[in-house]
This record gives sequence, C-alpha cells and structure tokens, in this order.
Amino acid sequence: MRNFIINLAGILIAFLLGAIVMLFQHYNPVETYGALFGYSLENMYSFMTVLKNAVPLVLTGLSASVAFASGPVNLGQPGQLLIGALFATIGGLYVDLPAPLMIPFLILLSMLGGAIWSGLAGLMKQFFNMDEYITTLMLNMIADLLTFWAISFPLFEKKANHPQTPRIFRSGWMPKIGDFNTSVIVMLLAFAVVWFIFYRTVSGYEWRISGKNSLFARLGGVQIEKNYMRVMLLTGALAGLSGGLIIMAGPHRFIKGLGANYAWDGIMVSMVANNAIVGTLLYGIFFSILQTGSLGMELVTQVPSELVTVLQAVIVLVVVASRGYFDMILKQILTRRKMKERTS
Amino acid sequence: MSELIEIRNLVKIFPPNVIALNDVSVYFHEGEIHALIGENGAGKSTLMKILYGMQPADSGQILINGKTVQFANPGEAIAARIGMVHQEILLINEYTVWENVVLGMEPVGLFHRIDRDKARQQVRTKIDEFQFNLDPDARVADLSVAARQKVEILKLLFRNVSILILDEPTAVLTPQEIPQLFDELRRLRDDGHTILFISHHLDEVIELSDRITVLRKGQKVATIDTKDVTEKMLAEMMVGREVIFDKIKDGIPPGVAVLDCQNISLRSPITNKMLLQNISFQVHASEIVGIAGVEGNGQLELVEVMMGLRAADQGSLKINGSDLSGSSILERRKFMAFVSQDRSRMGACLTASIKENVIMTHHKLNSAFTKSAGFILDFAHAASFAEQIRKTFDVQLNSIEDEMRSLSGGNQQKVILGRELSLDAPFVLLDQPTRGLDVGSIEYVHHQIIQMSHDNRAILLISADLEELFRITDRILVLHRGEIVADLVTDDTNITEVGYLMLEGADHA
Repeated sequence: MRNFIINLAGILIAFLLGAIVMLFQHYNPVETYGALFGYSLENMYSFMTVLKNAVPLVLTGLSASVAFASGPVNLGQPGQLLIGALFATIGGLYVDLPAPLMIPFLILLSMLGGAIWSGLAGLMKQFFNMDEYITTLMLNMIADLLTFWAISFPLFEKKANHPQTPRIFRSGWMPKIGDFNTSVIVMLLAFAVVWFIFYRTVSGYEWRISGKNSLFARLGGVQIEKNYMRVMLLTGALAGLSGGLIIMAGPHRFIKGLGANYAWDGIMVSMVANNAIVGTLLYGIFFSILQTGSLGMELVTQVPSELVTVLQAVIVLVVVASRGYFDMILKQILTRRKMKERTS
Repeated sequence: MSELIEIRNLVKIFPPNVIALNDVSVYFHEGEIHALIGENGAGKSTLMKILYGMQPADSGQILINGKTVQFANPGEAIAARIGMVHQEILLINEYTVWENVVLGMEPVGLFHRIDRDKARQQVRTKIDEFQFNLDPDARVADLSVAARQKVEILKLLFRNVSILILDEPTAVLTPQEIPQLFDELRRLRDDGHTILFISHHLDEVIELSDRITVLRKGQKVATIDTKDVTEKMLAEMMVGREVIFDKIKDGIPPGVAVLDCQNISLRSPITNKMLLQNISFQVHASEIVGIAGVEGNGQLELVEVMMGLRAADQGSLKINGSDLSGSSILERRKFMAFVSQDRSRMGACLTASIKENVIMTHHKLNSAFTKSAGFILDFAHAASFAEQIRKTFDVQLNSIEDEMRSLSGGNQQKVILGRELSLDAPFVLLDQPTRGLDVGSIEYVHHQIIQMSHDNRAILLISADLEELFRITDRILVLHRGEIVADLVTDDTNITEVGYLMLEGADHA
C-alpha cells in the first residue's frame, strides 16, 4: 500500500512536470494528455495494441528485475533479445512443423538463444572472474553486429532494398484472435512462471536472499555460484523469448533495427519497479500505454512523440527519487522520536 | 595548555534504535596525545567521524579554539587543520610516494602541467622535516604496510594538519613496527601537533598517551591523566561494573571430543603477517569453551576459517570424526550451528521477513521445509516453524511477515539463536552472541547457552567480555596476536590473570 502511494505520487508529479514543459512550448497539456491516453485506451483495438507492445517491455523488464534482485547485474537484455530473435528466425525459415508444434518450438528456440548469450557471460565470470556487467554490455555489441551480418548476408532476402530476412513459415506466426495477439498470453504465462519461481521455489528464495545479503546466504549454506549461473540462464532466456515473440507476432521476419530500444526500456521498467515482479508487469504495461499513445498525440496535437521519452525519464527519476526521499524522511522521524525518548 | 577542541553534548542516533553517542562531552588540549578507548560499539569511531565531518551529529556542538564549527565533509575538516588516518589504507598503489602525497593539490606550472620537480622537492622537504625515512620516488605498491601508513600521515602533514586522528593505527602493524610509529607520533606531539588515537590495546594506550577518554555504550565514562591509571583500572572502566553476574555454569562432566582443530595457520596475503598460528584445541560434548582476547587478535579469522569462508594455509578441522577441512559451507552446516557477532551482515538478512530469516539453512538440511522433491518451499511449515521459535524463544514481534530490521537487537538475536539451535548440530560456534544487547537479553542468551550444553552439544564461545566467559564457560583459551597463549580451567583462574594474558600474551604471565 505504501509502495503504491509512493509510485502513484511519483507518476502524478512527473505528469505535472511534463505539463509544465508543454506550457513552455505553448501546447495545451489537457488536450495533449487526452490525446495520449485516448489513442492508447479509447477502444478495444488500441488497448490490444498496447498489450502487444507491452510484451517485449515486460519480458526484458522481468529479465532485468530477476537479475538485479538476485545479485547478478545482467545488462545484456538487448543482445540476448537479438540472439533470441535470430534463433527464432532461423528456426522459422528452415523448419516447417504444424502450428501447435511450431510455436512452442520457436519459443523454446528463442529462449535457448538468449540463454546461450547470457550463459557465455556467466562462464566468463566462472572461469576468468570477469564482471558480468561488463561482459553482458560487450556481448550486446557483438550480438548487434552478428545479427546485422546474418540478415545482410546468409539470411538476406533477395531483392530486398535493406537488410532483412524472408518471412518465416506461416505456422510460426503467433495467431490472432480478432485484434488480440496471442503473444500476450505467452507473456502472461512467462510472468506467472517467473513469479512462481521467484516467490515460491527454493531457488527463488535463495536468489532473493542472496540479492539482499549474499554473505548471510553463503553462511547459510546457499551455493552462490550455482545460483548465479541459474539466474543468468533464466534472465537470458526471458530476454531471448521477447526477441522471439517480436518476430513471431510482428513483422514475421528479422528486419534491421528490430527491437531497437525495447530492451533498454525494459531495464528502465525494472528500475522504476524497484525489481519487483508484479511492479514490472504493471509498469511495463503503463510504459506501453505511453509509447503507444505517443503516436496518437503526434497525430492529434502538434506535440512531437519524443515528449513521451521525456515523460518516461521524468517518471523514472521522480519515482526512484521519491523512494529514497521517503526512506530519508522515515529515518529522520525515527531519529527525532529516539531523541525525545532519550531526554524523557 | 589550552583547550583546543571542545566537544559538547554530542548525540548521534542510528535509526531505528541505536544510540551511538549519548550526550558525550570531551575536551582535547593542544599538543597532547589523547587516546580514546572502549569496546566495539562504544562510540569511539563515531565520535571521531563526526569531528572529521564524515557524519553529521544529531545534536551537540563542536568548538575549535572557542569557535563553533560544523564540517559538512572531510575537506572542510582538513581546511581547519584536522586530518584522519583510517584503519584501511587509502592510497593509490601504482603511484609513487610523492605522487600520492601531492594528489589533489599538485603544484602546477605553465599550461597547468604538474611541476614534478617542485612537487618532489616539497615532499622531500616534508619527509626530512619529520624525519620519516621514506623515499619519495618509491612506488606505494612496493612499500610495507607500516611505510604506507607513514605516507598517509605525511599526506595530512603536507596539508598542514595540526590535529591528527588515528583510527586503530596499530591494528595493521606487526609488533616490531609499533615502537617506530610511536616514536614518530611522540615527535609530532613535541612539534606541537595534537594526536587523537583510537585503540583497543590498553598497553599501547598507557605507553603512548598523555590523557585517556573511556567510552562505554555511547557514553563517556571518564577522561583521565594516563599517569594516574593502571591497565586494570582502564579495563574495569571499559567493561563497566553495573551488573555483577554470578557463575551459572554447572560442572557436568564433559563427554567425548566433538570438535577437533589441529595446527590451523593463516597468513595474510597482503601484509604477510601471521593472522593465526598453529591453533589447536578440542571441545567436548556438554562443554563450553571460551576464547578470550582483545578484538583483532585473530577471532574474526578463526571464525572465517572454521565456517569455510576462508581457506587456512594449513591445519585440520574435524567434528565427530568427520574431516571438514576442505568441505563446503553447506557440508559444515550439517555439523555446525553458528551465531555471528555481526547480525546485519552475517547473522540475518534485515530486509527479508522474519519467516524468511528463520528458514535459512533449514531449507537445505531438513526436507520438511520443502515439497516436490526439494523444489518448492513449504510456506505453511515455515510459518509454523517461525511461530514455534517465537514461542520457545519468547520473541517480541508483531508478525512473522515483518522485516527482520523492525525488531530490536535483542529480539533479532533471539530469532537467530532460535534458527541456529533448531538445527540440532553437535557443535555450536558463538561469536560474541551478546554483543550490543541489553542486560535482560544477555541474561536470556546465557541461559540458552547453558541449556545447549545440557543437550550434550559442544560449544565454542568467542567473547571479548571476560565476565561473560567466567560466568558460563568450563575452559578459557586466550588468543593473543593469532596464537593461543593459554588454556585454562575457568574455576582455576581469575579475571585478572586472563585479562593480563589477553593484553600482554604469554610472556608476561
């Protein structure tokens, strides 16, 4: 409850600051916000688009949240996403199974791709004691160029005028029910599984405690190295899954610049959610509302869609700051109370 | 001599419930060596950190030369000519001595280039002025710890500091290096510098200081002239005498040897100092063995080696005949319960719930805590276990779902004791289990320890509190500079003898 109020207050303050920015630019804030939320929430179709766009945000956000809350600083979501997408694309181009088999096959393949990429960083930690936050960042660049090469040469669609692959087999496309893209179901399933692992299993318990106090966990008999590898593999698989679902739900092919900012936005989501699993889901959907609505805002009003980027950044700053500020105030109150106790 | 620094009614609170300094007033004269002594948690370091601008005080005043000052950071303190040397040495290893010393205030020439010759010359002048016997061109990485400490002091003198604060300067030194440091400090005093130093070692304090301030549990006990005191008096002031405990350990005959440590040695890879030297001892069933010693004489290292956090250079550790010398922590935990002195880092996870704290280790060793072949936690069982500990150990709490940090220190310790004792391990390692607790909680913990010995367990109690050791142990081992210098039957010795051995080692017995 306390958390909810802090977050809500942070968002409201951020919107107020956004309004001030708009006033400076002589835009009407009420109209602009109306257009923003109108475009993403006014009918079923727009809300379905919001949900579909939330899939990569939530999945990469979950990946970052689980990693950060358990200790490992996995910043490799962008690379893991790309490799996951590449794996799903390759599978979808060369294997043709009936849809009920094809879809799980491609999903698992994309998770495998992401896990291999994060597992590499895990191995480098284990064997050479290299910090994962450096290796995962470096692997992002390798993944970026590797996939660019793959779609420019071996997987290049002939006659295309920019780097992209041909479409994957139709059996690998995520089915749509009306406007509802079923990749959302996969996202919700992944969320449920991650929540269960994190809060109900022995491993999740050990990860959470290690993330908060690893010396205590170690002395309690927790095998830190083993858990580290598991966390890296799981979080890599989540990011890989988001890459696979982008391919399977959206363009059905690997296009240059695919998923460009999703993974970094996902890391931002996990930060603003303070690495909480449910919070990551909610903030992921909320940020998707903003991003989806930004298009409408640009169409209806004169406000450029970039303003939403500003708004997101302000939300992150204000929410994170108010969290720290609240703790500070709490400490001051406790100190004052103790001072009084002492003199009485 | 005039009052150089006046500290008036200082209060510092660490929320939620630690009063680190409670209305402390101290005066420091110009040109004296003033020692601050007290047990851990007495408030010595906090007092010095406030003076040095590292932490703000919650109330109270500091006056220097009669003027009120309030430093927001160490930089302001240095500008007011106060400098502090920390326990850990904070130098850049790859830089030379002079580079380290001038860092941050380099003399510059044309185009803001560092004037190297001038800088080196300035540093050399300072070294000669204070007769420090350092080579300005030596790389810090190649220096001994004692020399690095000198560089730290030189760094402050180079900034024209006249008040030097030293936090346990001898802790990192070998016994042979200590007299030289003391000579240098005396020389600085004779030059008109004021030196405040924090120490645990009473012999050093008496040898070096002019006056001594004793702190206990955040309050000042007294400030006294060194020439008027003895070590024994200081020890009494440090420990306090409000509570006289009677011995409550009954003489049940010890059973078979449970713990067997042989020849454990450990050398510091950084300073090459021997941290543990040929430690050998046994603890029998139903026996409580105490390890007495001034803090910093190898207790921490012994705990780390026994728990498997750190590998010893040599030696073996067996419990009930099983050799655990190379075993993982999890393997050791099947035989060992462990209560650490550091509740916030080792003993508990303060930001996790009480329930999550009590199931640690149990979740690995006892299958009743898990379902589905050990994959899923049984939260119902965890909750009933937590409630059971709450009842058996009389923990005052609102809900087992509350964060561990919402509890008072005493109640946290009860939760930890409850968790560890329910492990049913044959050997129990207690590292200052009553540290920072109030009298009532201490009483409670002591009775629990006695109860454990009735359950046939072998208990090793590491403590700096002599009264505690005399109250509940059968045997006392004295640890001095990493060596066991005495193995005494508690009933055949007395506080004075053990106190002396703790401070002076076996040579003076």
